[in-house]
Amino acid sequence: MNTKMQRNGFLVVLGATLILLVGLSSSGSSFWQGIFINLGMYIILVVALNLSNGFTGVFSLGHIGFMALGAYISAILTLPLDKKASYLPDLPGWLAPVHLDMMIGPFPLGFLLATLIAGVLVTLIAVVVGLVLMRLSGHFVAVATLGFLVIVRVVLINADEFTRGSHTFSNVTAYTDLWWVYAWVFIALIAVWRLKFSSYGRAMFAQRDDGIAAQSVGIVIMRPRLLAFAVSAFFTAVAGALWAHYLTSFSPKAFYFDLTFRVITMLVVGGMGSVTGSVVGPAVITAIAEALRRLEDVTLLYGVSQIVLAVLFIVIIVFRPGGLMGEREINFAGLWQRLRFRASVAQEGSAAEP
Amino acid sequence: MKARSLLVLVLVVILVLSSVTFISAQDEPIKIGLGFDLTGAESSLDLPASNGAMLAVEEINAAGGVLGRQIEPVLRDSRYEMDITAQIARQFVEEDGVAAVVGFTDSDSVLASGPIIQEAGVPFITAGATSPLLPEQVGDLFFMACFGDNVQAAAAAEYAFNTYGDTAYLLWDEGVEYTTLLAEYFRARFVELGGTIVLEDNYADDATDFSTQITKIRALAEQPDFYFISAMPYNVGPVVLQMRQAGLEGPIIGGDGYDTPDIVSVAGEAANNVFFTTHALMDSEIGTDGIKAFIASYNEAYGHDPENAFAALGYDAVKLLADAIERAGSTDAAAIQEALLATADFPGITGSITFSEGSHIPQKGVTIIEIVDEQFTLAQEVVPEVVPPANLDADM
Repeated sequence: MNTKMQRNGFLVVLGATLILLVGLSSSGSSFWQGIFINLGMYIILVVALNLSNGFTGVFSLGHIGFMALGAYISAILTLPLDKKASYLPDLPGWLAPVHLDMMIGPFPLGFLLATLIAGVLVTLIAVVVGLVLMRLSGHFVAVATLGFLVIVRVVLINADEFTRGSHTFSNVTAYTDLWWVYAWVFIALIAVWRLKFSSYGRAMFAQRDDGIAAQSVGIVIMRPRLLAFAVSAFFTAVAGALWAHYLTSFSPKAFYFDLTFRVITMLVVGGMGSVTGSVVGPAVITAIAEALRRLEDVTLLYGVSQIVLAVLFIVIIVFRPGGLMGEREINFAGLWQRLRFRASVAQEGSAAEP
Repeated sequence: MKARSLLVLVLVVILVLSSVTFISAQDEPIKIGLGFDLTGAESSLDLPASNGAMLAVEEINAAGGVLGRQIEPVLRDSRYEMDITAQIARQFVEEDGVAAVVGFTDSDSVLASGPIIQEAGVPFITAGATSPLLPEQVGDLFFMACFGDNVQAAAAAEYAFNTYGDTAYLLWDEGVEYTTLLAEYFRARFVELGGTIVLEDNYADDATDFSTQITKIRALAEQPDFYFISAMPYNVGPVVLQMRQAGLEGPIIGGDGYDTPDIVSVAGEAANNVFFTTHALMDSEIGTDGIKAFIASYNEAYGHDPENAFAALGYDAVKLLADAIERAGSTDAAAIQEALLATADFPGITGSITFSEGSHIPQKGVTIIEIVDEQFTLAQEVVPEVVPPANLDADM
């Protein structure tokens, strides 16, 4: 009964989201689509980061490095060949003729492949990096992952036969639209949700809260940490690929401290350890930031919105240190019950009237 | 009878209303999107540029507008964040329905917004993004009000080669396209002239300490004739100051990233013997009549002199657009594009603007400025003899 209500509640949320997406994509307003595309990409980034920073307590500051790698890998794989010849003339021979532009009808299969290749390659990198870094905890892992971010940036700038160095990488094909982003949002949310309530997820939380107690019941700390780090790197790389094919031009400096802290802010505001929070955090911040930005355009007080936003973060952290959601999740069953209750009240009301 | 008079009344009302809307469509202001980084890292260039652009709009409106219509500026802050930059481009073309966009002084912002504006079929003039690769990257509705980096780098190379000699030290910010391109164009022209670069080095975009680079310079057996340092506005002050503190007194030469009040406020007296290429010198005594008038009206509007040449570029970009709309006779994109391409000897504050042979980058002279006792002074106005090709890679 309970699981059925949960499923119904979930279907209601899914249906509402689908209606919203259909409405947006048929509205023809690329501005509002843009807002929701940005939001979707932030949701993927935040939920992925939550897996590592929230679930396992390994506070990573280096995830944007995975995002950068995902963006570059996917962009290189899908760059049209004539652009490749003029922008990246020094590509190694095996990579130069690669152009993933296969289409199945209107569906860009090549883009999907490029995204998946980017995700898998970055996951492999994350496993190698994680084998070393996941042995650290607390401040040490934060500093070490920050080191990873710096290394990625230096490599991207100096590997100019692949990345054009600090030159802006432009003319990336614009594949990313609402549907691509929200399909990946859906996959990421489901995957992380399932992980949270699986034994792997319990192991992640257990070793975070008390490492010694977790070890005494047979949890090898390395395993859940590495799993979380790898899965989270995969989705972060996917978000990077989506980002690349949405903005269509970017340079290494786009993937640095600014973006790192923006994503971490969304994570903290939403709630570390909550999948729902990973949606609420980006949504709340995107909504407030956009409203303030419009207020700025009217009042001509440019820059005020950043100050207001910063004060707001401080207020949230002071009054809700666990973020808006803490570790709690949306209660689908409760949602369904409430909807049914409302529907029945409305029915009774309309029945009683005549 | 009653019904008939009612009908007549309704018809009259409809007629009046429609004529009113007809008239207002004719008199409706022409919307122009102004996209600038008002609060981010590029704001020391973009704020003056947006002030200049707004000043141009006010002047045009005071003089009766364009095609008898007023210009309505829609100013938006891009914050030097690329996703915001893309979003304001969408706002311009969708919500605001602008006839054209003017803005930005850096190539990244143009690349984030340009393709969206191009796809919407709206003309776009950048005030000060100087990468000569941009027209090819953005599209055929995109124009520049400034010269390309290959032109200013060639001017700097020729000036330095003729004035100081044939050995140079080359340093650039490796994190930014503008500084990297400028260094590449400089190297290409300087070596072509027969110069030798004795040492090349670079630094990270967020660097504040340049001691590693400076130690390497001091280790040179013999100091070069001059130092070419390709830097962003926020790095210019510290790098110059630290060079001087380390006892390196030779001439330092750079590009229009130096054209910021920050260089003097940070480096102070240490900025003596620094030369840089830019679009115009904002000097009310030795400038042209146009510059004098511009400085006076800028002063009146904002209470101080223009901070740098980007103020004049913002002003020129809007005036250039208004001139094209006037000549096009409409706000139709294709007509504006055609009129822009036909622009010849447009008298800009930053020099005369001509788009010849289908180029979207104007041919303009380069101003070389020397900093003397914390003042910008004119060193030379030059037109380089040979300009390296925009796409160096393709040429090799």
